[in-house]
Amino acid sequence: MTKKMSESRYTTRKEKALSRRDFLDRILAGWGFLVLLPMIYASVRYLLPVRRSRASAEKVIVGRVEDLSLNSAKIIRLNERPVILIKTNSGQIKALSARCTHLGCTVKFKEEGSYLLCNCHGSRFDLNGKNVRGPASIPLRPYKVSLEEDKIALTVV
Amino acid sequence: MGGTLHIPTLRSIFSWLDQRIPLSALIQFLSRKEVPRQKHSIWYYFGGLTLFFLIVQIITGILLLMYYRPSPDSAHDSVLYITNEVPFGWIVRSVHSWSSNFMVAMVLIHMFSVYLVKAYRKPRELMWLSGFVLFFLTLGFGFTGFLLPWDTTAYFATLIGTEIPKSIPIVGEIAVNLLTGGGEVGQGTLTRMYGMHVVVLPLLTLGFVALHLVLNQILGQSVPIGVTTKNPGIPFFPNFALRDLRAWTVAFAVLCTVAFLLPWPLGEKADPFASAPEGIKPEWYFLILYQTLRIVPSTILSLSGEMIVNLAVLVVSVVWLLIPFLDRKASIEQKSPGFTYLGLGAILYMGTMIALAYLT
Repeated sequence: MTKKMSESRYTTRKEKALSRRDFLDRILAGWGFLVLLPMIYASVRYLLPVRRSRASAEKVIVGRVEDLSLNSAKIIRLNERPVILIKTNSGQIKALSARCTHLGCTVKFKEEGSYLLCNCHGSRFDLNGKNVRGPASIPLRPYKVSLEEDKIALTVV
Repeated sequence: MGGTLHIPTLRSIFSWLDQRIPLSALIQFLSRKEVPRQKHSIWYYFGGLTLFFLIVQIITGILLLMYYRPSPDSAHDSVLYITNEVPFGWIVRSVHSWSSNFMVAMVLIHMFSVYLVKAYRKPRELMWLSGFVLFFLTLGFGFTGFLLPWDTTAYFATLIGTEIPKSIPIVGEIAVNLLTGGGEVGQGTLTRMYGMHVVVLPLLTLGFVALHLVLNQILGQSVPIGVTTKNPGIPFFPNFALRDLRAWTVAFAVLCTVAFLLPWPLGEKADPFASAPEGIKPEWYFLILYQTLRIVPSTILSLSGEMIVNLAVLVVSVVWLLIPFLDRKASIEQKSPGFTYLGLGAILYMGTMIALAYLT
């Protein structure tokens, strides 16, 4: 090996060597990261909304049959969500999610024509929840209705 | 064909920013300050520690207000929800509560250490004045925040706290109406305390902290009269800043340990029509006033004892504010033992009142 080769090898090693300052800087940065990481994780978990787990379907009594007249509807709150209860001309009780599937506005029952209208952008749904007109492309979610004597019960899953 | 992908390093990011905003000049400004090396320099850390706990309060306070609901019907439930349902909610609340107490403790240590070393003397009078405001803002945070959980202790402590100013002539009733939003502690009080706690006091505090810190950077640290310093001083940035960071790390470790092992309790939901619970007391930093009111007779020379205490507090506060202008000897770099004894007397009085309040 020539002197020049060994010198250049020595120079390369010297350039790669970490200064004490840089080493301490990296230790400090690493420590800071280790301290911050669990705090960031905890903060994100804290801020994410708590999901309520529902183990199985539950029946919820939401009103009485005589509360609704024929060809009318009313909006109730079920687990923080709007649900529209409808009594058709034939006396059948239906329950649908009242949240328009377009952009989430609450729909309204239109007596003349017996349909559901979203005032925000004009989407229309029939009484089975099917989207029939306007920008909404998904039907309204139906709820299973059962009658227990004179009470209306909805099954919530 | 094509160039190499340039991954920016911290240095290159710094260089890019420095070409657009004067970061180097800012670092130079911070570096120019030297912290004196002297035998009492341990006291230099307590201002920074106060700032540290304020930062913790801001961060945990922002997290808490994501779930907190400021109404008598739902405040207690929302705090229960944070504590029992929200992941890590209990530790966020515990840290916030413990940190508030540590912050008040640091403010007191910082204020009295500044007083005893006469750091308020020329040219640092403005720092004393801004610090005086910050002291009362800190107490304001403690008072307004205490009501927010709306538990029994919080309700009755606030009821008492808002009754005390009533005895002050002329302005007392007005002050009580302003604090309570109608005379009785209720929805109006809770809304006002919440607004004060999360908006008004933070804005004022940040403004005065900025002033206090800028003055500190410009004027540097004071050295007690007659104390010699060793050369060279410690450059503030990065050397002393890193020492500060070390102190903050220890403080953070103590805070987290205490908050974890002694989670902050939540009492029963406030019932204004129930009797006040036995042994109810305010937080430790208000025990000085509480105990003073207990020991002072109800009437003194046909004047209300409470009114005399309130006026005394006002007079003492004004004297405390004007200390840099009253201590003429310190302003000409002479020792002023009279003022030192006054400060030690104040510490002794406060400590005695707090101890008596807990023991009796």
